[in-house]
Amino acid sequence: MTSSITKDKKPLNKFFIFLFWLVVWQIVHLVIRRDIYVPSPYSVFLKLKELVFILHFWESVFYSIYRVILGIAFSVLIGLITAVASSINRYVHDLLKPLMIAIKSTPVLSFIIIALLWFSSSNVPIFICFLMCFPVIWTNVLTGIENADKNLLEMAKIFKVKKLLVIKRIYFPSVLPYFSAACVTSLGLGWKVSVAAEVLSYPKKSIGGNLYSAKVYLDSSELFAWTLVVILLSMLFEYLFNRIVIGRKHKRRTNVAA
Amino acid sequence: MLQLKIDNLSKRFGELKVLEDFSICFSQKINCIFGPSGCGKSTLVNLMTGLVSPDKGNILGLENVSYSYIFQEDRLLPWATIKDNIMFVLESIYDKERSEELTDKYLSLVDLADYKNHYPQELSGGMKQRVSIARAFAYGGDILIMDEPFKGLHLEIKKDIMNYIGNNMSDKLVFFITHDVEEALYLADSIYIFKGPPLVLERQIDIDIPFSQRQSNIKELEIIKNKIINGI
Repeated sequence: MTSSITKDKKPLNKFFIFLFWLVVWQIVHLVIRRDIYVPSPYSVFLKLKELVFILHFWESVFYSIYRVILGIAFSVLIGLITAVASSINRYVHDLLKPLMIAIKSTPVLSFIIIALLWFSSSNVPIFICFLMCFPVIWTNVLTGIENADKNLLEMAKIFKVKKLLVIKRIYFPSVLPYFSAACVTSLGLGWKVSVAAEVLSYPKKSIGGNLYSAKVYLDSSELFAWTLVVILLSMLFEYLFNRIVIGRKHKRRTNVAA
Repeated sequence: MLQLKIDNLSKRFGELKVLEDFSICFSQKINCIFGPSGCGKSTLVNLMTGLVSPDKGNILGLENVSYSYIFQEDRLLPWATIKDNIMFVLESIYDKERSEELTDKYLSLVDLADYKNHYPQELSGGMKQRVSIARAFAYGGDILIMDEPFKGLHLEIKKDIMNYIGNNMSDKLVFFITHDVEEALYLADSIYIFKGPPLVLERQIDIDIPFSQRQSNIKELEIIKNKIINGI
């Protein structure tokens, strides 16, 4: 009984939160009364409805997704390898640390402009996405490795447990929560920076390119519609990630406990 | 017969001299290590297991020996079931079938067979300690180190486990660290009373009553107990 009440309560809360912000948006629109600054939610919805029936919309969405996935995949791969190397060898850690600080503190726009000189317009968002997410993955994975329970590692050493088993049963579960958090952060960050890079590099088929066009033609409804698409995609990615990685882990544990 | 000879061992942590030219010899029996907290008992054990390296000196008799350890804390993998926790230390030395067989056997011994698919957080402190005991017994090894192993255990199960140790560990060199005189008298063949730091052997008391006759020699044990308590 209690659980069904709790279950029903959640979507209702979310719906009201959504409604609240929609009302706020509408109020702001009514107060400003200039469509060019803040279009009404209804006009944005109409624009979005119009866009989804155009092939170019789906091509732009597809290529932007492709760039974000590729950028994040590179950052995960290289972030994992360098984090493991840094945990094993202090010199690698000391060499990489200033690079991570430099990446974290440099404005993303500087990197986009530099990347425009180095890469083709289509590859700039991939590189920027990689560059911005890489320190997040590196830092979190390294923290996870360093925070592995020393008592458990001592126990494994005394019982002469094989290295591979120690990695699989102690390090891997210790790193997983940090890695998951890094991935969730990267998914949000990845979308933000790759769309920003797309706006400046203007690849043919991209969400960022469409955002730029909407700005040039002062089409605020379209600008807001594309922004909404980015938000929705970012939320969808995070939801799917949580469902696949965290959901599966939870399911496995509850199955065993039952 | 397994023997461990500690020869002029020194170890310091910063300014604190925990061991200074410390020498002692332990043989294959239940050796009870007695002493106040912080006197250096744990450092001595950590040196024996190789978790800590000595600044000077040698430990002889460690070639090709394996250890089993009952820690003060349970040291169980929180994300693994009770069964997987025990299998974790067994899989490096036995095949899967043998590991499962040993896991079942020793979980039954500590009366936790019904909990093998549970996670540590679903168990009480005493139950987790019993898993830690089952893990050490299942692993075997030449040397068994028990660091306050019976803390938080129910009296009846504690007695069962102590009886198991007393009857089945004669082929091992056992180190039994405890602050409980009754436990020491019930189980130990020799009681080493230490003080420190730096660690110094104050007294060694050998209990010549065989384990099977301990229960019927309460008077004699009472005399030894008084000797320990009164520092005679």
